[in-house]
Amino acid sequence: MSKMTQRKSLDYVKKDYVRTRTMPATWHLTSYKYKFNITHMKPFLDKLKEKKLVANRCSGCNRVFYPPRLVCGKCLVKPDKWVDIRDTASVSTYAIAYLKDSETGEIKERPMVLVHHDGSDTSNIAELHPDIDVKDTYVGMPIKAHWREERSGGLMDIEYYDKIEDDAKDIKNK
Amino acid sequence: MGKQVAIVSAGFSEHASKRSDVNMGELVSEAVEDCLKKVPSVGFDDINAYVNGNMPAFEGSNIPELWMTDWMGARNKPLMRVTTGGTTGGSVAIAGYYTVTAGLPGIDTVLAVAFEQQSQGDTSVGLASVAYGEISILNTLGISYDQITRLLSAGAAIGVAAYQATTYMNKTRITEEDLARVVVQNRHNAAKTWWAHLKMPNLTIEDVLDTPYVQYPLRYGMVCPASDGACAMLFTTEEKAKDMCDIPVYVNGVASVANESAVLGYDGGGSAQVDPSMQLGAIRSSELAYAQAGISFPRKEIDYAEVYAPFPNQELLWTEKLGLFEETTAPEMYKNGVTALKGELPVNCSGGVNSTNAIGASAMERPAEAALQIMGKASNQVPKTVHTSIGSGWGGSLNLITLMAMSDQPQRKWR
Repeated sequence: MSKMTQRKSLDYVKKDYVRTRTMPATWHLTSYKYKFNITHMKPFLDKLKEKKLVANRCSGCNRVFYPPRLVCGKCLVKPDKWVDIRDTASVSTYAIAYLKDSETGEIKERPMVLVHHDGSDTSNIAELHPDIDVKDTYVGMPIKAHWREERSGGLMDIEYYDKIEDDAKDIKNK
Repeated sequence: MGKQVAIVSAGFSEHASKRSDVNMGELVSEAVEDCLKKVPSVGFDDINAYVNGNMPAFEGSNIPELWMTDWMGARNKPLMRVTTGGTTGGSVAIAGYYTVTAGLPGIDTVLAVAFEQQSQGDTSVGLASVAYGEISILNTLGISYDQITRLLSAGAAIGVAAYQATTYMNKTRITEEDLARVVVQNRHNAAKTWWAHLKMPNLTIEDVLDTPYVQYPLRYGMVCPASDGACAMLFTTEEKAKDMCDIPVYVNGVASVANESAVLGYDGGGSAQVDPSMQLGAIRSSELAYAQAGISFPRKEIDYAEVYAPFPNQELLWTEKLGLFEETTAPEMYKNGVTALKGELPVNCSGGVNSTNAIGASAMERPAEAALQIMGKASNQVPKTVHTSIGSGWGGSLNLITLMAMSDQPQRKWR
């Protein structure tokens, strides 16, 4: 049985609206109150002032989290073992952003890197030394943390990462 | 056990960067009309329930499903909205599948509708409302606002996809030319699809490589557009499907898997997925869906694939991770024409997300197009007979993957 006749076509409505009227309106994003726990971050942030890097380790899967985490998503236990990690790292991946300077109007190339610290199992966002040519950046490039003179106990205490000599350059084709 | 579910029809609205001639309700009604046009025996009275979805806050209007009920004939019927970010469409299609397979009394036929009218609102404001929580944490931990804006300078999706592209290019040793080749194939396919957005029948690889970088290694010519559009799919039971259309498409496996998000991680605390192109979620979702569908050799058994790839490197990546090609061989396959319209395994013959991206609807257009290819009703129909096809979706910070495996034969092994 065909029900073609029962279906109401919407064409007669559309015919009247040759040009749809557009009503401008604004939607302000005001304020958020996003809650998160930073108790697990406290020892880490305190040690940053002393130029020391610590991470916490999950006793279930032995993964090392830098920066520390409240809970291991794999084992659902609290990573409670604190371990020291080195300040050397490698570039786990990178991208280059092209940003227009608001004053001069020139376009600057800025590399954005994800850093994988030696001895940890996570990667996090960071900045490279401004003098490093973005064209020389490659995945797996060894780098070293450069500390800020006045440290306030935040992730920005590592101002940027310096390039260090790559021993494995011949083996790992860049 | 659940009922066997079949797709009997799928419809699209016309996609463009600005559909200023219609509002959201009218846009949805276009897709619903196109969907019901393909099954003449089905009217609005036959549809028992509705699933609706779009990306939240992108249009700047909340709960749109409530005031567009009349535009899709959902008055006085069960209606549910599903929004899961980039995979909204895929989740809506899966919700439509679940609604039918649950076997509730009186609910046999379900219309799933996904839409997006990005020109109506401010996409960056919508994204800010999605990602603000994690970004605010980074700010509290001492990363300056300047650095955060730089991280997200080119918009959230491309900001993280560029990282993924770098590692993938490093792993497979491909050049930008290989990425451009994927784009060219997609845009040529889109030119033959009536509802697609970016139709470029004469695009060449050189044209793509001439455009400036949005963010290294992705160029302006490689990235997806922002479209307005809608998609509708009609799900029903096996018995009813045989009366409704000639070739019903049976949904044999669905999966929606999230792994740890790359780049940002939890609470801004870094990600344990060190390599963004690892994609354990995609591997797991394909395992789940293929196991349900009884697909043992995806490379041999799947005839057509629609993968959600706004950027060319992702199309190469997903085809590998979903088991269609061996690791690192996908660029070779695009070079040899395996994935072309007349190839052995055609991929994204509708032009893919690379050519049409109405965010909420895109992930649903993938299974919809894959189903139409089995029915033989697709706009850019592949010449060979398609028996089994897949449609995937991607969302979140590179972590949530939805997958739907379809076939022209019902799967009874596990029921």
